[in-house]
Amino acid sequence: MIVKVIGVPVQDQEKALKFYTEKLGFLKKVDVPISEHNRWLTVVSKEEQDGPEILLEPAPNHFEPAKIYQKALFDAGIPYTQFNVDDVQKEYEQLIRLGVEFSVKPTKMGTVKIAVFNDTCGNNIQIVQML
Amino acid sequence: MTYYLKEITRIKNNCYANQGQLDTVIGTRHYINNNFDNELNLDLLSHIRFTSKFHLLRLFKRYYGQTPMQYLIDRRLDKSKELLLKGQSVTETCFDIGFESPSSFSTLFKSKFGLTPTEFQKRAIFTRSDKECF
Repeated sequence: MIVKVIGVPVQDQEKALKFYTEKLGFLKKVDVPISEHNRWLTVVSKEEQDGPEILLEPAPNHFEPAKIYQKALFDAGIPYTQFNVDDVQKEYEQLIRLGVEFSVKPTKMGTVKIAVFNDTCGNNIQIVQML
Repeated sequence: MTYYLKEITRIKNNCYANQGQLDTVIGTRHYINNNFDNELNLDLLSHIRFTSKFHLLRLFKRYYGQTPMQYLIDRRLDKSKELLLKGQSVTETCFDIGFESPSSFSTLFKSKFGLTPTEFQKRAIFTRSDKECF
């Protein structure tokens, strides 16, 4: 079995696509209409375009437990997932300039450095760098 | 303060309070990353960090979940994939990344990636040709 897709729940697929591409620098990979309001929509890392795809899935809009779970994680400040970067401080400064809001500023945690931001679609996302 | 922030603070204080130990293992990891193609062993690594090899072994395993030598092998094998994808021969790759014998390199490669270096290289070529066809 191969890991090709990981899902991230989003409240608005179009808004999520804009955020993940324009602010985070991901590239749109697959965009297929599924129903009137929903798409199978994935993005990939620019540095790993054949790597795992992030599925921006509108589960919170259609499945109450998903909405509740997403809100609970968000309110607790818990990241839904994390992405690796080479330099958390540099990434933080660039994202701040783009208007992204952080709940956790760059912080050393043992052998890694982390920061956590709001993806504006219901999630906290963590970025991490190996020190 | 959110639950997550409280947890980060708690974990930092409980697990990562000793900056000296962290500097030792992080420094060792960087040294391995920058010198993986040279002859490295625990004696040398511990000597560079002015610590005993048993202490280094214990610390590295504690913070990274593997020994320095296991980490070194992983780095070499990851690099070997890059070189094989560029079309370099298995033997040349083996010696370039610091292995001493092509057979031990092949065995380790297969145990980590499930394919021998030759099979990996062939599969990469076929995959590239398929993509080019479309």
